[in-house]
Amino acid sequence: MMLLSVENLQVAVDAKPILHGLSLEIPAGEVHAVMGPNGAGKSTLSYALAGRPGYEVTDGAARLDGVDLLALEPNERAALGVFLSFQYPTEIPGVPALTFLRTALNAQHRARGEAEVSAPDFLRLVRARAAALKIYFDMLKRPLNVGFSGGEKKRMEILQMSVLSPRLAILDETDSGLDIDALRIVAEGVNALRSPSRSMLVITHYQRLLDHIRPDRVHVLAAGRIVASGGPDLALELERDGYDRYALKPLGAAA
Amino acid sequence: MSLAVAIETGDLTQLPSRRDEDWRWTDLRGLVRALPEPSPANHVDLADGPFADLNPAEANVVNGRGQTRVTVDAGASRVVALRFVATAEAGAHVARVSIDVGEGASLVLLESYEGAETGYVADAELSIVLGPGAALQRIVIANDSAAGVSVSLSDVRLDARSSLTQTVLTSGARRQRLETHVSHPGAGARVRLDGLYLLGDKRHADVTTVVTHVGVDGATDQLIKGVVAGQARGVFQGRIVVSQGADKTEARMGHHALSLSDRAEVDGKPELEIWADDVVCAHGNTVGALDEEALFYARQRGIGEIEARAMLTEAFVAEVIDRIEHDGARDIARSWVVMRLGSVA
Amino acid sequence: MAAVQQTIEHVAEVERYKHGFVSDIDQEFAPKGLSEDTVRFISAKKGEPAWMLDWRLEAYRRWLALEEPDWARVEFPRIDYQDSYYYAAPKETIGPASLDEVDPDLLAVYAKLGIPLKEQEVLAGVQGAPRYAVDAVFDSVSVVTTFKKELAEVGVIFCSMSEAIREHGELVRRYLGSVVPVSDNFFACLNSAVFSDGSFVYVPPGVRCPMELSTYFRINAAQSGQFERTLIIADKGAYVSYLEGCTAPMRDENQLHAAVVELVILDDAEIKYSTVQNWYPGDADGKGGIYNFVTKRADCRGDRAKVSWTQVETGSAITWKYPSCVLRGHGSSGEFYSIAITNNRQQADTGTKMIHLGADTRSRIISKGISAGRSSNTYRGLVSAHPKARNARNYTQCDSLLIGSCSGAHTTPYIEARNGSTRFEHEATTTRLSDDQLFYAMQRGLSQEEAVQLLVNGFVKDVLQELPMEFAVEAQKLVAISLEGSVG
Repeated sequence: MMLLSVENLQVAVDAKPILHGLSLEIPAGEVHAVMGPNGAGKSTLSYALAGRPGYEVTDGAARLDGVDLLALEPNERAALGVFLSFQYPTEIPGVPALTFLRTALNAQHRARGEAEVSAPDFLRLVRARAAALKIYFDMLKRPLNVGFSGGEKKRMEILQMSVLSPRLAILDETDSGLDIDALRIVAEGVNALRSPSRSMLVITHYQRLLDHIRPDRVHVLAAGRIVASGGPDLALELERDGYDRYALKPLGAAA
Repeated sequence: MSLAVAIETGDLTQLPSRRDEDWRWTDLRGLVRALPEPSPANHVDLADGPFADLNPAEANVVNGRGQTRVTVDAGASRVVALRFVATAEAGAHVARVSIDVGEGASLVLLESYEGAETGYVADAELSIVLGPGAALQRIVIANDSAAGVSVSLSDVRLDARSSLTQTVLTSGARRQRLETHVSHPGAGARVRLDGLYLLGDKRHADVTTVVTHVGVDGATDQLIKGVVAGQARGVFQGRIVVSQGADKTEARMGHHALSLSDRAEVDGKPELEIWADDVVCAHGNTVGALDEEALFYARQRGIGEIEARAMLTEAFVAEVIDRIEHDGARDIARSWVVMRLGSVA
Repeated sequence: MAAVQQTIEHVAEVERYKHGFVSDIDQEFAPKGLSEDTVRFISAKKGEPAWMLDWRLEAYRRWLALEEPDWARVEFPRIDYQDSYYYAAPKETIGPASLDEVDPDLLAVYAKLGIPLKEQEVLAGVQGAPRYAVDAVFDSVSVVTTFKKELAEVGVIFCSMSEAIREHGELVRRYLGSVVPVSDNFFACLNSAVFSDGSFVYVPPGVRCPMELSTYFRINAAQSGQFERTLIIADKGAYVSYLEGCTAPMRDENQLHAAVVELVILDDAEIKYSTVQNWYPGDADGKGGIYNFVTKRADCRGDRAKVSWTQVETGSAITWKYPSCVLRGHGSSGEFYSIAITNNRQQADTGTKMIHLGADTRSRIISKGISAGRSSNTYRGLVSAHPKARNARNYTQCDSLLIGSCSGAHTTPYIEARNGSTRFEHEATTTRLSDDQLFYAMQRGLSQEEAVQLLVNGFVKDVLQELPMEFAVEAQKLVAISLEGSVG
C-alpha cells in the first residue's frame, strides 16, 4: 500500500497552470527526493499537497493512506499526518514558539479524537527534542521565527516535525540558506525521524542535501511534471550534467 | 466648541462636526440631533467596576456628580480607581475632575467609563498636573454602552523628570472619543501613550492624542493598536508637536489596525509637526487583514482556522497589554482583551 | 558621483535664482480685477464658442459662493482678488502659424531660459540627445508649440488649450472638468472661470507617443496671475510622458498661480507626468514670490490604467498642491514621487491623494521633504479605500530632512480604510542632516556645502531616478541651488 499517491495532479496559480499532470507514489517508510530546476513547480507541489489557498487543483488526485487529501482543509491534512517544512518559514509575531507548538499539537490530537497532551508532558517532550537539535529552550519562548536566523528557522521546522510526528514529511528546500554545520544538524534531525511508518518527500535543487539524507528514490521535476525517476545515483547524474536536458524540453513535448 | 459646552448651554451648534478638521471622523453634530434631559442624580447601587479585584481606593463620578479632585501629596504613592458611570436611562452630563500628583509622588490611576444604560450623552474633562519627578500610570478601560455617546478629554501637564504611562482600552460606543493632550516639558520627562480599540457591531471609537514637546530632552513613545469587525469604525489621530528649541526630542508613534470585516472602517492620522532639527521622530501606520501567510502556516501545523485567527489576533494586540507596568492592571487588561475579542472576532 | 560633481561645479557659477529677470515684451492686459466682464473679455479674446463662455460664467458664479480653504499649514495675508490682472498676453500672438511669426524678443526670452523652441536646434543638438516637443506658455497665452506636425502623423494632438477649444471642441467638451469638477475647490473654481491657456494632449488608442511632451510656463507681467489649464487624455493602450517646467521674474509682490491639470487614462493606458517647479520663491526675507495653488488630478478611468506623478518642488513662496490619483479602473495603479524643498521663508503644504475606488488597485507614495532656513514644509496626503476597492494596496514612505534649527518639517497623512481586504502601510521619519555623515565627508576633503549636497542627493535619489534623464540632471542642480546658503 502506498502512503502517498499522487495521480495526474494539475495545479494553477492565478489561473496560470504550473503542474501539468504530476504523478508520484511513495511507499510507507521510504524517502523520495524531487529535484528540479528553478520554476519547475517544486514548491507548487508542496503547497498543493498542504492545501495552500491560491493553489488551485484543476485536475488529478492526491491520497494519503487512501484518503483524498484534496477535499480537506489545511489543518485537516495536518491532523491526518501531512507536515510541510517551509522553504521560508513564516514569522508569527506575538506568539511564542512553545505556545504555537502546543496549540498545534493539541489541535491535531483533538482532531484525531486523542487526548490532549498535558503541560508537563509537553514540556518534557519539547525539551528533549530541542536539545537534540541544539535549540536553546529560551528561544522557544520568543515569538515563532521572529528574528530567527535562517538556520534557526530550519531547525525550528524540524523540531515541530519531531514533536508533531507526521506520517508524511514534505521538506521544501530545507537546505537553502544553511551553512554546512547547520545543514548537518538539520539532516541528523531528519534522519532520526526516519521510520518504517513514515515517508518523506525531500524537495531540493541541489544534490548536497542528499549526501546527508539518503533517498530511496529520486524524481526529476521539470516543466510541471515528473520527467525521470531512478535510484540515488540519478541525483549524482543531475549534479554532474545539470537539468538542461530536462528543462529545455518544450511544454507538452513529453506527453 | 465642545460637547461639554453644548450640554451646558443646550446649544447644539456647539457640537463638533465633521467640518471641524479634528473631528472629521467623529461627527457629533450630525449624530446628536437633540440632547437628552440633564442626567438625574443616581439612585442605584453601583456594580463592581472593572478594577474592583485590585481593591483600590474608589473615586466615583456618577451621572456627572461626585468626586471632583484626586490628590497625591509630595513623595506619596496611591492607587485610585476613578470611575465615570452613567446610570441614567437617557441623560446628558458633564463631569470635571482635577488630579494633582505632587513632587516625587506616584499615582496608579485606574480609570473606567461604565455605561450599561442606553442613550446617555456623557462628557468627562480631566485636568491632570504632575509635579517634578512625579509618576502617573494611567490605565483606562472604557466599557461604554453601544447606544451611548461619550467623550473624554484629558489635559496632562508634566514637569521635569516626571513620567506619564498611559494605556487606553476601549470597546467603543455609539460614538466615543478618548482624547489626551500632553504638555511635555522635555527635561528628562518621559511619556508613553498606548491604546487599544476592539470594536464590533456598529461601534465607534476615536483615540486622539496631542503631545507638545516644549523643552529639550524629552521622549514620547506611542503604540496604538486596533481590531475592527462588523460595521465598526476605529479612529486614531495622533499628533506630536516638537516646538522650536525642543532639541534632543525622541518621538515614536505606531498605529496598527487589523480589519476583520469587509464593512468595518479604520481611519488614521498620525501627525508629526516638527520645528526643531536635533530630533529623531518616526511614525508607522498599517491597516490590513490578518496575515494570510501566518494563517496558512498555523493551519499547516494542524490548527483550525477559527482557532488560528483567534491566536493571531490575540498575539497582535498582546504587545499593547505587555507594556502595562502595573501587574494587577495588566492582568485585568489581559482578561478584558480575551472577553472583548470573544465578542468581536 | 559624476552628477554630484556636476552639481557642485554648477552651484559655483550660478546666482541663486537665475530665472528672475523681467522681459520687456509689449503686452496687453484685461482690465484689472475680476468680474463677469473679465470672464467675458478672456473668452472673447480667445474667440471661444458659446458653450465655453457659459462654462466659465457658471464657474465664476459658483466661485463667488466658495471660501478660500484654511486647513493647509500655510500663512499669508488675504489675497485681494480685485487687485490683479487676469489676462496678460504678448501683443498679436494668438496662435502663430509658425515659429517664424513669433516675436523674436519672446524667442530670446526662451533662449535665455534654456528652453529649445526651434525644432532644428533640438534636432541639431548633441547627438543622441532625446528630443522633446514644447508648448511655451507666456503669461496667459501659448506662444508656440513645437513638433506638432510630426506628432500629428501618429495621431497625437499636442497644442495649446485655446487652440484645442477651437479645433478639437468635442474632445475638450467631453473631458474638460470631468476629472476636476468646476467647483472642486476655491482655486480650481477660480481657474475654471478665468483660465487663459495651457496644454492639451490627446494620444489615440494604442499609440506610444514618440517623444516626451513638455510645457514651459513663464510668468512675466507684473501684478498678474497665471491660470493655466492642462488636459491630457491617454486613450486605450496609449502611453505618454509629459514634463512641466515653470519660472517667474523676481518681484516684491506676490503673484498668484492657480492652475488645474486633468489627466484621463483609459484601459491599459499610462501617463507619466513630471514637474520641475521653480517659480520665484521670494527673497531671503520672504518678500515676493509666487503663490502656487494648484489642483492636479489623474483619473484612472480604465482597467489597468497607470499614472505616475513625479514632482520636484523648489520654488514658490507658498505651495499648495496635491497631485492626486483616482483609481477607478480595476487593477489600476497610481504613483507619486515628490521632492519638496523649502528654504528661507518658503512655505509648502504638498502631497497627494490616492483614492482607491476599484478592486485590485495599487498605489505608492515616496515623498522627500527638505526644510531649511525659516521655512515650513508639510507633507499632507490621503490614502483611502472605498468599500468596493477589494484588495487595495498602498505603500507610503515619507521622509523629512531638517537643515538648521529654525525650519519646520511636518507630516500629516490621512488614512481611510473602508474594507477589510485593504492593506495600507505608511512609514515616516524626520531627522536632521547627520553630523557624523557630514564630518565623514568633510574629513575626506569635501567642503561643508559640498558635503550637504552629497548627502541631500542621497536623500532624494529614490525620487530623482523617476524623472526622465535630462530632467533629473536639471532637478539635481536645482536641489543644490535651492539649498545654497542653508548651512553654516
